[in-house]
Amino acid sequence: MIRVALRGVRAHLVRFALSVLAVALGVAFVAGTFALRSMLGSTFSDIVATTTLGDAYVRGAQEAGGPSSADLSVGTQFNRVPLTLVDELEAVDGVAAALPDLQGPVVLVGADGMAVQSTQAPSFGFGYDARDRAAHLVAGRAPRDGSEVALESATLRASGLALGDATRIVVGGAIRPVTVVGELGVGAALAGATVVFLDEATARAAFAPDGDVARIAVNADPGVAQDELVRRLTPVVHATDADATVVTGDAQRADSRAQILSLLGFVTTFLLVFAAIALFVGAFIIANTFAMWVRQRMRELALLRAVGASPLQVFASIVLQAALVGVVGAALGLAGGLGLVVLLRAVLAHLGMHLAGRIPVDGFTILVSVVVGTAVSVVAAAVPARRAALVPPVEALRDEVSVPERSLRRRAVLGVVVLLAGVGGVLVAVGRPDAPHASAWLGAGAAGVLLGVLLVSPVVARSVLRVLGAPTTAWRPVGRLARGNVTRNPRRTANTAGALMIGMALVGAAAVIAATTQASTRAIVEHEATTDFILRVAPSATVPRQALADVRAVPGVRAADAFSSGSVLVRAGAPGEPARAAGALAITGIDPAAIGRSIRTDVVTGDFPAALRGGEVAVQRTTAHDRGWSVGDRLTLVGTAGQVPVTVGAVIDSPAFGVPLVVGQAVLDRLVPTAQQQVTTVFVTAEPGTDLDALRAGLTSAVRPYLVVSVLDSEQFVSQLADQVNRVLVILYALLGLSVVIAVLGIVNTLALSVIERTREIGLLRAVGLGRLQLGSTITLESVLTAVFGTAVGLVVGVALAATLPRLYADQGLRTLAVPWGSLLLMLALAVVVGVLAAAWPAVRAARLPVLEAVSAE
Amino acid sequence: MTTQTDGTDGTDGTRGTDGAASTASTAGPAIATARALVKVYGDGPTAVRALDGVDVDLVRGELTAIMGPSGSGKSTLMHCLAGLDRPTSGTVEVDGEEISAMSERRLTRLRRTRVGFVFQAYNLIPTLTALENITLPLDIARRPVDRAHLEHVVDTLGLRDRLTHKPAELSGGQQQRVACARALVARPAVVFADEPTGNLDSTSSAEVLGFLRRSVDELGQSVVMVTHDPTSAGYAHRVLFLADGRVVGELRDPTPARVLDALGALRTAARQ
Repeated sequence: MIRVALRGVRAHLVRFALSVLAVALGVAFVAGTFALRSMLGSTFSDIVATTTLGDAYVRGAQEAGGPSSADLSVGTQFNRVPLTLVDELEAVDGVAAALPDLQGPVVLVGADGMAVQSTQAPSFGFGYDARDRAAHLVAGRAPRDGSEVALESATLRASGLALGDATRIVVGGAIRPVTVVGELGVGAALAGATVVFLDEATARAAFAPDGDVARIAVNADPGVAQDELVRRLTPVVHATDADATVVTGDAQRADSRAQILSLLGFVTTFLLVFAAIALFVGAFIIANTFAMWVRQRMRELALLRAVGASPLQVFASIVLQAALVGVVGAALGLAGGLGLVVLLRAVLAHLGMHLAGRIPVDGFTILVSVVVGTAVSVVAAAVPARRAALVPPVEALRDEVSVPERSLRRRAVLGVVVLLAGVGGVLVAVGRPDAPHASAWLGAGAAGVLLGVLLVSPVVARSVLRVLGAPTTAWRPVGRLARGNVTRNPRRTANTAGALMIGMALVGAAAVIAATTQASTRAIVEHEATTDFILRVAPSATVPRQALADVRAVPGVRAADAFSSGSVLVRAGAPGEPARAAGALAITGIDPAAIGRSIRTDVVTGDFPAALRGGEVAVQRTTAHDRGWSVGDRLTLVGTAGQVPVTVGAVIDSPAFGVPLVVGQAVLDRLVPTAQQQVTTVFVTAEPGTDLDALRAGLTSAVRPYLVVSVLDSEQFVSQLADQVNRVLVILYALLGLSVVIAVLGIVNTLALSVIERTREIGLLRAVGLGRLQLGSTITLESVLTAVFGTAVGLVVGVALAATLPRLYADQGLRTLAVPWGSLLLMLALAVVVGVLAAAWPAVRAARLPVLEAVSAE
Repeated sequence: MTTQTDGTDGTDGTRGTDGAASTASTAGPAIATARALVKVYGDGPTAVRALDGVDVDLVRGELTAIMGPSGSGKSTLMHCLAGLDRPTSGTVEVDGEEISAMSERRLTRLRRTRVGFVFQAYNLIPTLTALENITLPLDIARRPVDRAHLEHVVDTLGLRDRLTHKPAELSGGQQQRVACARALVARPAVVFADEPTGNLDSTSSAEVLGFLRRSVDELGQSVVMVTHDPTSAGYAHRVLFLADGRVVGELRDPTPARVLDALGALRTAARQ
């Protein structure tokens, strides 16, 4: 039987080629994802390994907020430690150096007068200390004062500057003219980050103006082990009143690495979702291939049964073929995935984002790829294989093998049940959007709806296709023939279209979400922003404080209100009471006078401006609801700079703020050091009667030296946010594109196999005079009808599901439902193109069949 | 597709055949003619000469049966006459047009308008109803349906209450009758039937053959039928006998008994 199975694959290689390709594409995605994660992981591990070289670290003992984009920290932050510790640490026996971690955002002006920034990578300044093992001098010398800087090697190349060149940097909120005096290497690919080294005094002034830092690295004298060093330092640190702790260098490095890997875990999960979709879609192709193969081989299988093969042997022979398809596909996919990552790295390197040189091929990636590829194939082939195993041997003796169409009733019933359950789940979510598990209900419901539609689709295929095909009946005889062919086996047509359906449902949903986000943003800005101009900053940069001062000095500016943000840990209850931790939350600080001046906020309870003036905190409605907070409750906010007990003064409903907590600027300053606060947006309001065009020109020239700040009116602000949404949408479309490509392969596959299956019929049609063009048109029309069917059903499902989102996520700013009809029509047009492309090869193949051979084909 | 290779032609086209048969009939103007028709499959030592210099004239307005043992070349002859296969050498003329050198495009048009087919099995498109199958050649040619003619054909074949059925819902005899109707409805110059009753029981066979004969007698249709069944051949006006790629005999107004006798005589002649 094994020989029969192997011969079967060899004799029909072409027939299996597309199945192999489908598996290969899905597996390539999986393998590529894992390889990408390993590559990113090793890149960032290298960065940790080459920059975190201390033997011990002194850091805060209290957790104080979540990840911040204002410095390199990921994961948990701790309270800051005072710089005064440095001297005490250096006095300890066995300490070679105590190096405070002086780092913060910086803008470097390149040779072209533009900010040096590659892709989306951040830009950092560091205080340079010759004793720091992380950086070594490559050329020139170290910076000596505030007029000199040294650049990391990749940054130097990217900037186009040379040693001795004069340029400018923006650091500590101000512009500073500097000369490049040195090149420093850090021994790792920095993933495109721009790195500028400053002299220590300048770095202290810019990054530690309050006299504290995130941590202090301690280098030991030779012969002093890390544990020993920690033992010696701990009593010294505890003797001071600093709330600090000492950990070994290894512990600190492991900590950083773990935080990076958990961050990459999100990326991996995100990508794997799309890989799973691709594989799921690929499974449709494999299932269809084997179903049609079994159908065509009915007599051969019956013969095998007649000569004594057991049903199990027949089953096993088909599953073995499927496994073979899976293994070959997985091997190709693995190679393809790694190739993809190599390509991606080359492209990123070209864009200035250098990643680690190794493409890791670990056993795990190989194992996962092969297992996933094989499992998907075997599972997909199991149903057709079972069917083949149950062929009665008597079929071999029949002159004409009749393949009874299995009843669709069971599938229909199951489909309707799943569909109704899915709709029920969605309704539960929509009915009680504030319920704790509304999102989970929606997700499960959406999955149920999609699965239910996939199950039901063969049942509805006939009538839907009859409607879709109605306009083509005038095109005789092509229209009628094509429609007959796609409705002949609705199960097959629906399975073929199913692959496209999934992809298009996601595309439709994404398009609606994007349009809704844009419409909602517009509505929010129109509703809440009363400002004339908005200053925005480049990604991962912050508005320099000096720029803010310059803007306020522009004639005609009544107010420039900055939104400063950070992250704090919240404990419910006043100090002294038993604290209930409430996790890290994002917080925004604003001048209380800005309320009503440049922003208009819907207040649920309490007095918002008074709360901010009185040093109280305002909480978003959803956060208050989730945590059970109301006006008058006592909270303790813990930031890296300190703790502040506050009272909830107002509950607000403001997507414009978009963060759970809002406080006055003064409170934020006590929580997060100003150097660590991030300012991404500034609302500028004009004096009444000011010429706005002139004001705009004044603002633009005021911020121009800082390079990263742009002046927008509210219309431009909305369209800039829309651009960001569109950029995300493009990535989503690219990821979904793969499943659409696989779906197209599925259509090609089904058509090609059905041409083989219908050889005799095609011969007959040609014999009674059907021209080649007419035959080709028939097959093309079949393909188009299938593609349009899948796309139309998919889009309807996707749009319907996405339309429920504004009810659930109104608080996250999704308030105004918008359906992008133009884009949806474009998708349908795309489906027609896809159908035509998919039909090309099968149609040519069919047209080339010699009439006589086709007519007398077995 | 076979290509024409002149070098394999060993006959001069006028060579007489043995036996009493004359190859060309003079009973009326020919609807299809073959001259010095040679068909070779394969090449080199394994080449098979399926047709070895055939000259035939098929008479307009007659039902002609082509008989012969397996491998005699009767199907090949019909395929060449119908434009489904290209001869290695020699000429074929159908309804006054030389088709042996026609392009595929012109052959398709010929099949569409001038030729009707009835095959042994798989005659109908399973997705179309009986009526749609009958009018298929007209649909393909985008020609209007002659309602009166269609009604006449349908009634003659007794298919009126079956027109909306799909082929799977029809019996074998009904399917072949639908195939006959399809072959006739476009009023082709000639209908080629390849073992049209090969899969049918005797009652259904009689119906179909009777109808083919009536279409000739009443509608003036020309029909060429390949068969190996003497009873079927008995319905013809004329029977041509083929053996080893040559026409070896002919019978006018046959009966099944005379056909059997003629076959026996041929077999005896072949043995000597």
